[in-house]
Amino acid sequence: MPETRLLFRHIDVPGIAGIDVYEREGGYRSLRKAVTEMSPDDVVQEVMTSNLRGRGGAGFPTGRKWSFLPKDGRTRYLVCNGDESEPGTCKDQEIIYRHPHLLIEGVLTSAYAIGAEQAFIYLRGEFKDGYLTLRRAIAEARAKGYLGDDVLGSGRRLDIRLYLGAGAYICGEETAQLESLEGRRGMPRLKPPFPATAGLYGMPTVVNNVETLAAVVPIVEMGGTEYARLGTKESAGTKLFSVSGNVRRPGNYEVELGKVTMGELLHDLAGGPPEGRSFKAVIPGGSSVPFLPPDKFDTPLDYESMRAAGTMLGSGGVIVLDDQASIVDASLRLMEFYRHESCGKCTPCREGTMWLEQALRRIVAGEGRQGDLKTIEGLIAHIDGQTFCPLGDAAIAALGSALRLFRGEFEERIATPERQLEEVAQ
Amino acid sequence: MNEEHLAEAKSLLTAFPGKSSALIPILHLVEDEFGYIPQEEVEVVAGLMGVTAAYVEAVLSFYTLFHRQPTGKYLIQVCRGLSCHLNAADHLAHFLYEELGVQRGGTTDDGLFTVEEVECLALCKDAPVVQVNLAYRPRASEEQLKGLIEESRRGVAQHA
Repeated sequence: MPETRLLFRHIDVPGIAGIDVYEREGGYRSLRKAVTEMSPDDVVQEVMTSNLRGRGGAGFPTGRKWSFLPKDGRTRYLVCNGDESEPGTCKDQEIIYRHPHLLIEGVLTSAYAIGAEQAFIYLRGEFKDGYLTLRRAIAEARAKGYLGDDVLGSGRRLDIRLYLGAGAYICGEETAQLESLEGRRGMPRLKPPFPATAGLYGMPTVVNNVETLAAVVPIVEMGGTEYARLGTKESAGTKLFSVSGNVRRPGNYEVELGKVTMGELLHDLAGGPPEGRSFKAVIPGGSSVPFLPPDKFDTPLDYESMRAAGTMLGSGGVIVLDDQASIVDASLRLMEFYRHESCGKCTPCREGTMWLEQALRRIVAGEGRQGDLKTIEGLIAHIDGQTFCPLGDAAIAALGSALRLFRGEFEERIATPERQLEEVAQ
Repeated sequence: MNEEHLAEAKSLLTAFPGKSSALIPILHLVEDEFGYIPQEEVEVVAGLMGVTAAYVEAVLSFYTLFHRQPTGKYLIQVCRGLSCHLNAADHLAHFLYEELGVQRGGTTDDGLFTVEEVECLALCKDAPVVQVNLAYRPRASEEQLKGLIEESRRGVAQHA
């Protein structure tokens, strides 16, 4: 099962991070085509036709998101979300670090389409070297006239400003990102108003993921119709999948949506489980989605099929656990993460993740109590759908499914010999 | 802040459509220069931004890359994301604690190394992952980290 490379078509070409090699491989042709041959609305139309959906995790149709911008003459902004922090996801990192001009071209072409003169690329603070790589690439692109006050002689201004976050998972949530970009604590905003009407500095704003904006380059090049032929009707195009954990060939793989199953991704591309092991389960869409067990590895990788299988395609970050891995330990590790990253705004998320972590820590330490699983399920129910932003639901997705699929592991851990001995002694 | 950073901080005040956006970039300048955000600098930044010191502290305390205590010349961050966890990142962290004689978040007495365990660093395919002064060390091993520590110590000795 081969990859279908659109975004990664040239990523292994030596020197592709430099503008000369990027141009030699056809780079900046989409931006030139957009700016010199197409109106902004033409570009929006191609993206609509392409059926491109947001690659950050939510899968919302990109063209529709763009169409929500009010036509009221106010200044508009494009924000590229490069805060990639979802555990198991490292696809944007590879684009930023190894293929910076693809991202820059995608951002400029999209900014042109939505009528934003100023775009921002928000990078997580840990992407410091990626920031320097993009800064160099932007300088190269500026020298060639791809951005600045008069892009390619069109008389239009397009510019990009880089911004480094400073360590906070929640800043990947779009309104928290806008807060952070405005110099505040990264706490999510109440919606509505949505960023499209009141975003950065209160102005109409579109926030799109790195991979989403990069995909605009091949869409403009090949046309939306051609792009929509790839993948399935609802899940069009190609998507990057980060495969990591207990697997022989971890890596980023680009495949046509719906044309490859989870099993094919894991075995044919990622090389199968480590020697002598077998797969226990995967968390398929970054850590914020339910587990997918091996009996469902024949599920095609697209938004609808994954949902039907009880989980989500999410960011495409596939975390693989083999038969030696403990679901209980993994659940604790994830809950520590969400507890640490909860911004503290909503009580169910702030207190709930802490209590869940405490209960899981007890179980892992062999001090679990018989009622702990009930307590955990009660806490899950009190977080589910009760928080301002998706972090609360994200925190309980994998754990809830772990209790359904691997309940025995939790029960076994609670009934450890040490515990039983203690109970006898009492 | 040194003069160069102060000049850069002042230019950042007008670099964004809104002045408020300059705060985090300015705090990065302070962190880069001192290895943490000293209290006096909180006051300086507050003065530049035209906000209170309490406001600056409220913002900086939200973000893990801003430190309130001095950090070592080399900030070693061991990723404890699930993919790294599944690739024995815990062992790497404990190796560092033993090798350097520090606890989690601690700094060596010579001020050379600070060791932290941090959440997912977004390089899961190359687990276990470590960042040293925010530069990735993919597929990190004990030998590799040992070499890095020795090299860093020698480097400092040469400069001394």
